[in-house]
Amino acid sequence: MTNYFYVSPEQLIRDRAEFAQKGIARGRSIVAAIYDSGIVLVAENPSASLNKISEVYDRIAFAGVGKYNEFDRLREAGIRWADGTGFTYSRGDVDARALANYYAQHLGDMFTEGQKPLEVEILVAQLGNRIRPTKLYRIAYEGTISDEPRFAVLGGDAETIKGRFAASEDSLEPLNVTLKNAVAALAGLDRTIGVSELEVGILEDRGDRRTFARLTDNDVSELLR
Amino acid sequence: MGLPLFSAHDDPGPSFYHYARGAGLSTSSSGSDAASPHATTVVAVRYDHGVVMVGDRQATGSYIASRDVRKIEAADRFTALAISGTAARGMEFIRMAQLSFEHYEKMTDTALSLEGKANYLSPIIQRNNLSTPLIVLPLLAGWDQSHERGRIFEYDGAGGCYERFDFSTIGSGSPFAESTLRLGYAADLDLEGALDLGALALYEAGDNDPSTGGPDFVRNLFPMMVTISSAGFHELAHEQVAERFRVINERRTRSGGVAGGSLR
Repeated sequence: MTNYFYVSPEQLIRDRAEFAQKGIARGRSIVAAIYDSGIVLVAENPSASLNKISEVYDRIAFAGVGKYNEFDRLREAGIRWADGTGFTYSRGDVDARALANYYAQHLGDMFTEGQKPLEVEILVAQLGNRIRPTKLYRIAYEGTISDEPRFAVLGGDAETIKGRFAASEDSLEPLNVTLKNAVAALAGLDRTIGVSELEVGILEDRGDRRTFARLTDNDVSELLR
Repeated sequence: MGLPLFSAHDDPGPSFYHYARGAGLSTSSSGSDAASPHATTVVAVRYDHGVVMVGDRQATGSYIASRDVRKIEAADRFTALAISGTAARGMEFIRMAQLSFEHYEKMTDTALSLEGKANYLSPIIQRNNLSTPLIVLPLLAGWDQSHERGRIFEYDGAGGCYERFDFSTIGSGSPFAESTLRLGYAADLDLEGALDLGALALYEAGDNDPSTGGPDFVRNLFPMMVTISSAGFHELAHEQVAERFRVINERRTRSGGVAGGSLR
């Protein structure tokens, strides 16, 4: 005979949240910030090929922390969703808010109904234009979606990094300043992060349809100088 | 459309075509609307640093449906794709190809090789052409970044993909364009030579094939001319194209419409 033990919903949620938070805290963090002519996404990532930042669509980028296989599957689903939506309707109809909502629903479902919650925290960034605003949507492991006004931090150490970044920047700055502040916030006072440990992507209007670009190590050192 | 998540064993991978088919975004039903506009001439000519493509702009059914169709499009920065056959299917095909190459790049963070792109299109063409009478035949030309040269790939109706090392033509005006290219092609053609030859081949096709639109001096509409080189896809400005066809036309007028004697 099997015994079923009663677990209160409060306890269940607490356990699941703790489990997810632990998983997320193991990885390094990401700072995404709006600068005077775009959005910069900065990840501390020792791997040059297992990316945390990715292009999703013409004006939309994705960033994820936590378990790589879990957020990478979400990234792929996002690209599929965006390309499928653009193919069905038009490129202008692909909206980051809709994607962020789908992500939130999925993470929420997995948190309450899944075998285990996803140990990820993700960000959907959208570079604005005449019809859409510039947005940073942060989606937490349990499906909470937040619309971050100027910058967002993902990862275990988010609160500390958030404080550091907020203290260093109170208005929109050029890319090099924002990048410098983001790297300093990620590193903290007693640590420096080498250029090869950084993964940096930007969304910026350069006259092309696609606005996402990865910055090479050279680009980053040049900007940080 | 919900969030397209897949488990590892039924994941369509970085192929947008396979995802779209599975999700029902693209349908290839068999119809028999054989009167939809078609017919074309597009030529691709290799020169020492890339490929030149010239294409007419007329869509023809039982009458001229449109005079300013773009039959050559950039599939991505280093690849051009031209279509002949049913216009509607051709447009969908170009859209699918453009999106697929970009989709692959975003999914894997690496660009598909030119050969990879050429092979990717084969089953799509096969599926389209064997299941409906609405035939589409594309012509793919691009700058191969790993081999540093321009390359041309042509297809047969069953989806077979063949690389051509000199030139290629598609569409109903092909016999006339091909003859001109055969006589005028040289292995060491430079950009100017290739542009001249391509324009002439198209002029001949427009002159002889009722379903190919030659230069239209009345409406100031001219065939499309593009180059694909290490600098990427580049479309020649309207004035440059117009001038090239004006020169050919004046020469032909002086000779009383006779092409023979020399290639000029």
